[in-house]
Amino acid sequence: MDRRATFWVLYLPPLLLLGAFFLIPLLLMFVYSFRADMHGSFFQLWQPSLNQYTKLISTGSYWRLLGVSSLMALVISISAVVLSYPIAYFIAFYGRQRAGFYLVLLLVPFWTSYLLRVMAWKIMLGTEGVINSFLLYINLIQEPLTALLYNRNAVMLTLIYVWIPVATLPILAALQRIDIALFEAAADLGARPIHQFLRITLPLSLPGVLAAFFMVFIPTVGEYVTPLLVGGSRGSMYGNIIQDFFTKAANWPFGSAMSMVMLAGTLILVAIAVRLINVRDLLE
Amino acid sequence: MNPKKPLRYSLTGMLVALTLILSACGAPADVPPGELTGSLSVLDWAGYDAEDFWIDFKNTYPNVTVNFEIGISDADIYAKMAAGNQADIFHPYTGWLQFYVDEGLVEEIDTSKLANWDKVPEHFKKIGQFNGKQYFIPWDWGFSSVLYRTDMIPEGVDSWDALLDPAYAGHISMWDDGPAAVTVSSYIHGYDETAITADQLATIKEEWIAQRDSNLFYWAGEPELVEGMTSGSIWAGYAWQGAYATLLANSIPVAYANPKEGRNSWVGVYGIRKGTENLDLALKFLDAKLAEATGNNVVNLFYYGHSNQDVMNGITDATLKEAFSIDDPGILETTNFTPNLTAEQRDAWTAMWAEVKAAP
Amino acid sequence: MTTFRNSLPLKGYFFGLIALLYLPIVVLFLFSINANTYLSFPLQGLTLGWYEKLFASDALLRSARNSLVVALGSSLTATLIGTMVSLLMTRYQFRSKGLLVAMAVLPLIVPYIVLAVALLLLFSVLNIERSLLTVGVAHTVVALPYVLLIVGARLAGFDANIEEAAMDLGASYPTTLRRIVIPMIAPAMISAWLTAFTVSFDEFALALFLAGTQPTFPVYLYGQLRFANRLPIMISLAVLMMIGTLALVLIAERMRRSD
Repeated sequence: MDRRATFWVLYLPPLLLLGAFFLIPLLLMFVYSFRADMHGSFFQLWQPSLNQYTKLISTGSYWRLLGVSSLMALVISISAVVLSYPIAYFIAFYGRQRAGFYLVLLLVPFWTSYLLRVMAWKIMLGTEGVINSFLLYINLIQEPLTALLYNRNAVMLTLIYVWIPVATLPILAALQRIDIALFEAAADLGARPIHQFLRITLPLSLPGVLAAFFMVFIPTVGEYVTPLLVGGSRGSMYGNIIQDFFTKAANWPFGSAMSMVMLAGTLILVAIAVRLINVRDLLE
Repeated sequence: MNPKKPLRYSLTGMLVALTLILSACGAPADVPPGELTGSLSVLDWAGYDAEDFWIDFKNTYPNVTVNFEIGISDADIYAKMAAGNQADIFHPYTGWLQFYVDEGLVEEIDTSKLANWDKVPEHFKKIGQFNGKQYFIPWDWGFSSVLYRTDMIPEGVDSWDALLDPAYAGHISMWDDGPAAVTVSSYIHGYDETAITADQLATIKEEWIAQRDSNLFYWAGEPELVEGMTSGSIWAGYAWQGAYATLLANSIPVAYANPKEGRNSWVGVYGIRKGTENLDLALKFLDAKLAEATGNNVVNLFYYGHSNQDVMNGITDATLKEAFSIDDPGILETTNFTPNLTAEQRDAWTAMWAEVKAAP
Repeated sequence: MTTFRNSLPLKGYFFGLIALLYLPIVVLFLFSINANTYLSFPLQGLTLGWYEKLFASDALLRSARNSLVVALGSSLTATLIGTMVSLLMTRYQFRSKGLLVAMAVLPLIVPYIVLAVALLLLFSVLNIERSLLTVGVAHTVVALPYVLLIVGARLAGFDANIEEAAMDLGASYPTTLRRIVIPMIAPAMISAWLTAFTVSFDEFALALFLAGTQPTFPVYLYGQLRFANRLPIMISLAVLMMIGTLALVLIAERMRRSD
């Protein structure tokens, strides 16, 4: 009986929070994307119009940019997950009493301003930056490398760096709940460490890995701050264009339309991914 | 929630009571400035919330609280005001002023209440006038031009097309602003800025897409440009004279071009939100903004010009004189002032710039 | 424990990557003691002047305080509500479950700037003044998916039989939750709380639109990027924040070891 009562205690607050401060604003935005232009008062009623969507559809470069941004996000997510897995593994199984300490050690840089960390990367990758000065010093190169900064690669490198601490967390959480006894049992049965990893650790940590992947992938598609600071003239991502329409052009309807398209695209991608993963589970 | 509010209300209550009692006793109706209370909210750009930039108001009316909200661009400020922001005062720049007038967002200003108004030169006053009415008070102003390293470009720069010159490929930095790009192109090609046709806009778009091959990065804030020019990665950039003065002060060999098409000039203005209940207080704030101490701070701390002519006449620092071309009497004649955009132009030009950035 | 002896390559990888993660921090630190206001190598003289100026900078310190308040409030709320959704997701069956979970995860997909403007519209229409509270609400919403993913993953791998056993022995469901479930998922909850805190503390897009007259630190910082001479002071605050958290961590570790 109290399980039912508990249900409502658990159900109502999230519902109210999400309904009022997530669903409704988005619906508002959706409706706003059918506004023909921004002329006139922001809150007057307007005739719905497909103006923004037709403009969006007819501009090929925006679609291409969406595709490029998604691809970049894919590379960044996979790299971040691959690079942070050993960290999570180390903390989970070798951390022992120091595990909490190691974890916070990992997270402390994250408590430095993101903007400033990206600025620091800008300094490091620049022609007079740490990397170039060092390479020149050891005479590996004669001229500073200009290709390190102000392009897509710089954006990807910086974002991978930024996401590693975050990607570690779900993987760590998943690894921590693996029962150590499983390894002992496997060892007793003669399984070599590499087999233990492939047959026990990896599959059991998969939910965490997938969580980490999506946690990085989805926001990265709409990323705009890092491309702004280190992307240069050609490093803009889809998010930059949306940002521009909201803050540089005061063109909220078009920005809304672009956002709706991106939202739809990401939802489709996630739906496909979820299908794929289920199929694989079935096959094993 | 400001925990100081309850205290202020009771203080206000006491002062109001005191004033009423005094006035009932036949004392003068005007509250002395030192005792005037109330609060104002200002929507301004970052940095201008520092006391230096409203120091006259602070010293004259120490018991009035001023709260600042920060806007990050003209579009941002416009969008906020249009969405119903309750700031009493806001700070847009030339180019964006028409929208406030058209949408009825700005209060008409009774300049007879501004003691410092006669210190503002006529051409500045006009910038804030629409349909014969004064809607805005000019405050800060400056130039935009091509800033370049004299050691990297020894031949000098005499035209805006230096910003698109492939000879400087990889060493150019343009401001991240669509209307600015349209302005530069219209100077170069001799287009009429107020009447850009669709064909002209298409040409402009193509040329700025091509310019990306020469552009190292777009700057959104002056520090980025200053940093780039100091390190030598940027040889030529679209710049306001603030960057010029900063670099000169750091002994970097730079020059601020006087292109044959003429420099651009912009003016920042203050407006009062239509329907504000703090109209009197707002007017006092604007008046104090025009005063000398505030003006001197703008000039010395930001290297921007101020609309109070006395302030400009009082500049002695050599770096600043260079930056403002004070000793060049003809400079204002060859300068192109930013005209105000129409809503259609705003949409078209910003969309053009977005396509430039999104192009493959 | 024979399976996990000290693994040198793994340890090396861990500390190597940590060193790499701290590299930009070191760079920032160097510039906070750099005598010049612009960021270029080689450094031109050392100074602690920026730190002095920092403590005189009221607005900057206030913005840091604002960030702290918002992060604390939103992360605690998000952890609470996220745990609620996790419990619902893994322990209950009801018709609107799919919808609720989808709604709880969707904030991950929505670009922050979209949500920011959407919330701005909402608050404008409802005439709610923008404040740290409005920012906090937005941060709670966007931190929720992270909590759900972390705590949900933990709960999913947790055998519900233990709870059934407890209830068979007479414990009420709330008691079961309190005495058994929560303690077992506590590490995950802490992990989730840390994530939510981090998400909020540094968040920029939402804060920019929703903060009103009280900026959070990232918003303040972004605004100051316009002015070259302000940058070193910002960096010195960031460095101090980082040293502060590091010190807290070391103290906590000390205390834990001495227990």
